[in-house]
Amino acid sequence: MKTIAIDRLPDLAQALSKAGYRVVAPVDEGGVVRLREWTKGLALALDAVPVNSVKDVLFPRSEVVARFALEESGGFTPAPLERSAPKTVVLCARPCDAAALSALDAVFNWDYRDGSYNARRAATTVVSLACFKADEHCFCTSVNGAPDGTAGADALLRPADGGKKLVFEALSDKGRQLEAMVSDGQAVPDAPAALKRRFDSAAVGRWLASNFESPFWKEAALACLGCGACAYACPVCHCFDLQDESDKKECRRLRNWDSCGFGLFTLHASGHNPRPDQSARWRQRVTHKFSIYPQKFKTFACTGCGRCARLCQAGMAIAETCERIEALGR
Amino acid sequence: MKTETSAVPAATAFEPRITAFVCNWCTYAGADLAGTSRLQYAPNMRIIKLPCTGRIDPLFVLKAFEDGADAVLVSGCHPGDCHYTSGNYHARRRWTLFRKLLALTGIGDDRLFFSWVSAAEGQKFADLVNDVTAKVRQAGPFRAANPGRRA
Amino acid sequence: MMKALREAAAKLLQEKRAVLVIGYADRKGRPAVFVSKPEDCGRLVYDSSCRQNLAAYLGKPELRARLPVAVVAPPAVLRSLVVLTAESQIPAGQVLALAVDHDAFLGVFDAAGAAELLRSKFPDLGPEKALLERVAELSKKSAAERAAFWAEEFAKCTRCYACRAACPGCYCSRCIVEKNAPQWVSTAALGHGNYTWNVMRAFHQSGRCTLCGACEAACPQGLPLMVLNAVLDREALAEFDARPGYDPEGKPVIGSWSAEDDHSYMR
Repeated sequence: MKTIAIDRLPDLAQALSKAGYRVVAPVDEGGVVRLREWTKGLALALDAVPVNSVKDVLFPRSEVVARFALEESGGFTPAPLERSAPKTVVLCARPCDAAALSALDAVFNWDYRDGSYNARRAATTVVSLACFKADEHCFCTSVNGAPDGTAGADALLRPADGGKKLVFEALSDKGRQLEAMVSDGQAVPDAPAALKRRFDSAAVGRWLASNFESPFWKEAALACLGCGACAYACPVCHCFDLQDESDKKECRRLRNWDSCGFGLFTLHASGHNPRPDQSARWRQRVTHKFSIYPQKFKTFACTGCGRCARLCQAGMAIAETCERIEALGR
Repeated sequence: MKTETSAVPAATAFEPRITAFVCNWCTYAGADLAGTSRLQYAPNMRIIKLPCTGRIDPLFVLKAFEDGADAVLVSGCHPGDCHYTSGNYHARRRWTLFRKLLALTGIGDDRLFFSWVSAAEGQKFADLVNDVTAKVRQAGPFRAANPGRRA
Repeated sequence: MMKALREAAAKLLQEKRAVLVIGYADRKGRPAVFVSKPEDCGRLVYDSSCRQNLAAYLGKPELRARLPVAVVAPPAVLRSLVVLTAESQIPAGQVLALAVDHDAFLGVFDAAGAAELLRSKFPDLGPEKALLERVAELSKKSAAERAAFWAEEFAKCTRCYACRAACPGCYCSRCIVEKNAPQWVSTAALGHGNYTWNVMRAFHQSGRCTLCGACEAACPQGLPLMVLNAVLDREALAEFDARPGYDPEGKPVIGSWSAEDDHSYMR
């Protein structure tokens, strides 16, 4: 088997760097664990779920999707767009983040094949680190995931020998390309974190499909203040807004993240808003993730990473909503 | 008393681009007077006329820096002279606080300038423009150190 | 203390002086809880880990439809309630404060009563020592270093607007970033838009911020928003004697002026 001592992970990162990969890894930045481009000397932070997800690597917060050169005569010509898709390894991704990529692959290749996402996806190798512990917000096992899940990943690092070593398992061709950088060895894999299932997601999906008008929603979102923290942190959320920005020489069309939690998300030009209050918006968020998306793509738009609950200033927790829905359904 | 101000120094590598937000009734009129008096002053300032300094939203200043201004000047009527009675008093309050906030983020007195110039002060306007332009030329391009500029 | 708080809340509901109590739940993170039945008041707690400013909920149309409301209010939240009253955002008599502090329930107050309580028991509230130290640290740096510091911090901003949502002072039905004719602030989570957003957000709180810290607590990226707020707070106090939240009829700092205001920096 292929093994690496856990304190030698920076060496692996350095080897990947030398091999021409951009390395993205979780780093502690003043108390905040963030997935970011790793450079030599940065300590890897493996104990907490990063505030951002692997989604950032494939679907950046803001991206130029079209460019037009503006002419003095008033005309405009499309300008070439350099797509940035450097060879990248995400090292020590959470399995829930990797699973989210499977969900994103579906929507970005559905009615339109998103060139930007696909270019980055093709150029990125995801090496997950199986979770040896979970916090009170994690619920991957409630959405068909697992602390050592392999969905969406190209390789898995499994803690072994009481957390002192990691066993490297390649899961795809991209993952196999990294095998040479990990030495041979022996180790006894540790059991991954034990995470009890919190709710039956299939049952939740069934309830959602037939309870759109339920009074449950009226009180369910009182605490929600309608910001975008949950949607932006979520590894699966992918809604975006197109904005044109121009100066004298050029117009750029930007694709920026958007959130269904914002009040204006569904505001029509007429002034009508089909989701006029936060309860309608919360209903949509939960229904999309647990009913609509699975109907279309056969996978939940949620992988149980718990970021939304961890980061929400108002304590909104989608897992808790699902638990309450399951209880209602019984 | 000076009757003529010095012209722009010849051939320098860096020519500052300065945006000025001025009020219509005082500073803009003062600038007009500088012109009709044939006073020479540096051409680096692009003047944006508003009815009153009270109309100047601090956001305009930020947009100027976003678009690459090396410095911004805000100028209006002397206290007591505002065409709209109190617009400049409102503005003054805003600027006192705003300049502290901007200084905290690295945009200080060498990049953000404020003045009162009346309609009769054509000479003052010309001197002001020359002085500010010289200071900014010395401070150099703001591009790299400008925290608010568009990349 | 909890017993007194819960009993007072239950009494308000029983007497119909409030139809809803907004408080902090007895759960990790102390999320907001909305209690409409007297027997549910046992869910209310208060301790120093409560970080939300519950006055922010008064901006939600759903909650405006359920007045009168009582809000569990530590000193910063009391100040916010007074500021909202001074800014005519709260219909008279429709909001009561269940005033609390670390270890005491202080009673039920309307806006005038809250202001008086603040003046007598919590005068001169300002940034905490640790925050002032952060400001001092930053002020020691050169302009270029400060610019670099903020450029690095603002690069982390994702424009989720959790800061805006957390703040009771941010109640515009259409925020400046949501105006697109013209688009005043770039909505892209990139350098220039992030700088403009964060600076304008802070500036719009000048003389109104009650230093509750909810914005910084809400920020998923850990941006040091309180540093911006603290600097403006101290400046507004020094220049204009601004004490937001101490007078329910106080004039807004930016909306008013004095002939004696400083202008020594103007040429």
